[in-house]
Amino acid sequence: MIIAPEIHIKATGLTKSVKVADGSLTILHDISLLINRGESVAIVGASGSGKSTLLSLLAGLDVPSQGEVFLAEYPLHLLSEDERAGVRAAHVGFVFQSFLLLPSLTALENITLPAELAGIKDAKARGLILLQQVGLAERADFFPAQLSGGEQQRVAIARAFITKPDVLFADEPSANLDAATGLKIEDLLFKLNAEQGTTLVLVTHNNDLAARCQRQYKMQAGRFIETDMQGSQHVG
Amino acid sequence: MLAKIAWRLFWRELRRGELWVIAFALFLAVGSVVSLSGITTGVKSALMQRSAQFSAADSVLRSSQPFDQAIFAQAENLKVQTARQMQFDSMLFAADIMQLVTIKAVDNSYPLRGELLLKRASRIAEGKTVSLNKGDVYLEMRLFDLLKLSVGDQIELGMAKLTVGGVIANEPDAPLSVFGGAPRVLMHIDDVAATQIVQPGSRITYRYLFAGNATNLAKFESAIAPQLSSHQRWQKLDNESAIGSALERAERFLLLAGLLGIILAACAAAVAATRYSQRNTQAVAVIKALGATTQQVRLLYGSHLFLVILFSLVTGVIAGQLAIDAAHWGIKYYLNDYHAEFSWRPLWLGCLTGVICALLFAARPMWRLASTAAIDVLKQPSLSLGFDVVQWVVGAAAIWALMWLFSGELVLSIGLFVICAVFAAVLMVFAAVLVKFVKPVAAGQSSARKLAMANLRRRLWANSFQLITFSLAIFLALSLYFLRSELIEQWQKQIPVGAPNHFLVNITEAQRDTLNSFAKQHQLKLGQYYPVVRGRLTAINNEQVQQEVTKDDRSAQRVGIGRELNLTWLSDLPQNNELTIGHWFAVQAKAEVSVEAEVAQRLAIKLGDTLAFSIGGQELSANVSSIRKVDWNSLQPNFYMILSPDLLANFPATYINAFYLAPEQSVLLNQLVRLLPTVTVISVDSIIAQVNSIIGQVTIALSFILLIIGLAAALVLVAQVQATLEQREQELAILRTLGARYIFLRNALVLEFVFLGAMAGLFATILAEIMLFVLQQRVFNLPFNLHYNLWWIGPMLGVVLVTALGWWQLKRLLRIPSAQLIRRVLQG
Repeated sequence: MIIAPEIHIKATGLTKSVKVADGSLTILHDISLLINRGESVAIVGASGSGKSTLLSLLAGLDVPSQGEVFLAEYPLHLLSEDERAGVRAAHVGFVFQSFLLLPSLTALENITLPAELAGIKDAKARGLILLQQVGLAERADFFPAQLSGGEQQRVAIARAFITKPDVLFADEPSANLDAATGLKIEDLLFKLNAEQGTTLVLVTHNNDLAARCQRQYKMQAGRFIETDMQGSQHVG
Repeated sequence: MLAKIAWRLFWRELRRGELWVIAFALFLAVGSVVSLSGITTGVKSALMQRSAQFSAADSVLRSSQPFDQAIFAQAENLKVQTARQMQFDSMLFAADIMQLVTIKAVDNSYPLRGELLLKRASRIAEGKTVSLNKGDVYLEMRLFDLLKLSVGDQIELGMAKLTVGGVIANEPDAPLSVFGGAPRVLMHIDDVAATQIVQPGSRITYRYLFAGNATNLAKFESAIAPQLSSHQRWQKLDNESAIGSALERAERFLLLAGLLGIILAACAAAVAATRYSQRNTQAVAVIKALGATTQQVRLLYGSHLFLVILFSLVTGVIAGQLAIDAAHWGIKYYLNDYHAEFSWRPLWLGCLTGVICALLFAARPMWRLASTAAIDVLKQPSLSLGFDVVQWVVGAAAIWALMWLFSGELVLSIGLFVICAVFAAVLMVFAAVLVKFVKPVAAGQSSARKLAMANLRRRLWANSFQLITFSLAIFLALSLYFLRSELIEQWQKQIPVGAPNHFLVNITEAQRDTLNSFAKQHQLKLGQYYPVVRGRLTAINNEQVQQEVTKDDRSAQRVGIGRELNLTWLSDLPQNNELTIGHWFAVQAKAEVSVEAEVAQRLAIKLGDTLAFSIGGQELSANVSSIRKVDWNSLQPNFYMILSPDLLANFPATYINAFYLAPEQSVLLNQLVRLLPTVTVISVDSIIAQVNSIIGQVTIALSFILLIIGLAAALVLVAQVQATLEQREQELAILRTLGARYIFLRNALVLEFVFLGAMAGLFATILAEIMLFVLQQRVFNLPFNLHYNLWWIGPMLGVVLVTALGWWQLKRLLRIPSAQLIRRVLQG
């Protein structure tokens, strides 16, 4: 299937079921969406509503039980684990709720890791610029355990942008932080996103944060219950 | 780029501990295999070299047929040195006196090993050293008195007239047997033809002597194997000797200990690798989410394992080789002329073991690690060790394969493996039962105890494997320690301090009084007089037996001993003899004989059979009234056939006796020889010294092995505790947050390990006792006895070892300030 150039992510009829002790449990029911290039979209819902599962399918971390998902021209639902890894390396950036920095690497090394994996030559130079941008130039050689939560998340954001991804997935980026720090992190995320023209897909239960995105999808029990249609079209 | 990340991660991961545990475990496996294999080979080679000196060659081929020149030619082609030797009994005439002697005829190359010392005198201590010339004969000292000969006198041997050249001062391959035999005469092989003694049908033993390096000799032996006839056979190191048997036991023990060390090291490596993988699962998920392929992750973490293996192989091989060198140095201390041969075998065996351990125990968790899915990045990391059926099946198969590879003994390896497997299964059941009963028991305890029990119960259930390895480690250390003490004790018993070191053979009835008063005068403690009459076994149940040893199956005749026997008669069963069937002679026993068990088996002699003997031309027969087991390791006169006193009492007999002579009393020997010139004095000091040196060597080797096992056991415990570190950290953080005090947490922790240690120790004790029973009975042929000390040492060792190691690793966790601990846990 060829998708229109302005459409960045397209999902049709996504269903995700997992096996449990007494049969199977459906976490996502028939989800369809379209996200345009450069757009910022929030997926909002309470814990257990299925928003993180949806993010994992859109980012190619996992494959749907049914349905199709395209990231640009890549049919993620048809690709192998390693092919999806290739797509992520070239096009995707992540920011996670619990930061997920590698404890044995310094701040700078954590930032440069995706660039090094992708074989980018000037990884270190890029990393230093990003450290500067997130205000941690002095902390380049600190290990995660020596950084505060907010600092760790700033490192994670710098890491997400080092490969200049087309799309950034953020999973509750400020949920583990106090309100003031959380706000700073959100500002940083939107600032870098705007500067680099990245498509942003943000998963959160925080309505204020969601409101900063151009559009919102609200989820409950694995289904969209409400969609803010501004500036885009909703299929299915 | 990937290499850079791998290298960076590797250095940082080293600080976290698991990689060091894997490295040290592999180092121990490699080091212990290299050193044990090398030391065993070294001790064996030292004994072979020593025994080669006693047989004047590295290997000897005996034949009853004349020399086959093709064999010598083949040996020379393969750079193997050769020498020829013929041996036969003949009458020697000196003027008008004659004497039956054993003639040994040798060529100029004799001996290939050891030293032949000939003196131009009639006494050993006198005269200058000379070499063997054609036309000369050299005699054993007693012949000079028996035949009233002097150096330079003529003697007649068959048709040849030869000159007495002097006395044999040292003959490397003289029989060590205390039975002696006819006096010995040495002559040149080229003079044998002139005697015309060698006729068709003459009973002559032809001995081909060979020496050279081990590889060439092995090649040569296999090259000539197809062309050997039934008349030719290799003369091997005597397994019935004290040395052969001590060596055999030592080798088995070293191999066994080596296996145990490997099992423990493999366990430690597996635990650490599993832990390492489990701790890195989330990192791999992150790396994959960031775009790394499975292949890249495999290279990344595979390189860590590769570096660890490389490090362990290099250091293990170096340490192992240093241990071998130290052992060689030690052997040289006992055996001056020992030349150590460098061998690649221990090195490649060690490396192979290390690689197998690494690949089959550590590689599997690493492989699984690389298969972590990117989606796991969104999941909570698991803190429990996942049970991987494939890993344990492969691991178990690998343990058994290593046992087999290393011991080369299928039965031993299977036996040991089954014991370990049963042990593991029993402990699993035990752990399950414990889980069920600990909770109600703990209900009435103090809160620290309750917490300890609750921790233990939960962890036992989640990971009963921990108890198994704790128990296994203690069990191995215990069995080894007790077996070691027992073996050493057994060996030392064979040669107690003050055991007879000189044997007197050919004592006549008339000489007994002289000898008794000599012994009394010099305070020598004489042993029992054993009367000896030489005779042949001629028939069993009226069926004539072969008079020569032959492998010729076409012979219809019943198998016989093939030589003259020393027959004795005794009214009491000698020490070191044990009746297996039948009864000992009654006071009025008539015409009975007691037969040694192995001879009885070889000659198919049964209780009640009638044996016919020919003694000095007279025939007599006796009924077999008992079969005896003889301890050939004891340095005591032992007899194949003991007859009832009524049969032999009237035959002219000579006697054997023995006494202990301290080194400073050696001057008494000369006096004794002058007093009783026809009595042969045989010193077994050299055999005793040899056995003592082996015991010394083996004791050092055993202590070394115990150290290796101890280290490996400690390593398993460290790996196990390390595997629970993060989980414990979390629990501590929670308990601290809830207000638990330091003393409470410390008591709970100590109690948990005390209880675990006691259980592991008790189980280890039970298993060790069973194992010792099996080994004593089946492998080492030692009598079984209960090890009372084991029953308190085992549990005590378990408590001390497990608690000390657990406390040593966890005390720092308790000392971390609460706030820091909670922050660490929250940050993952």
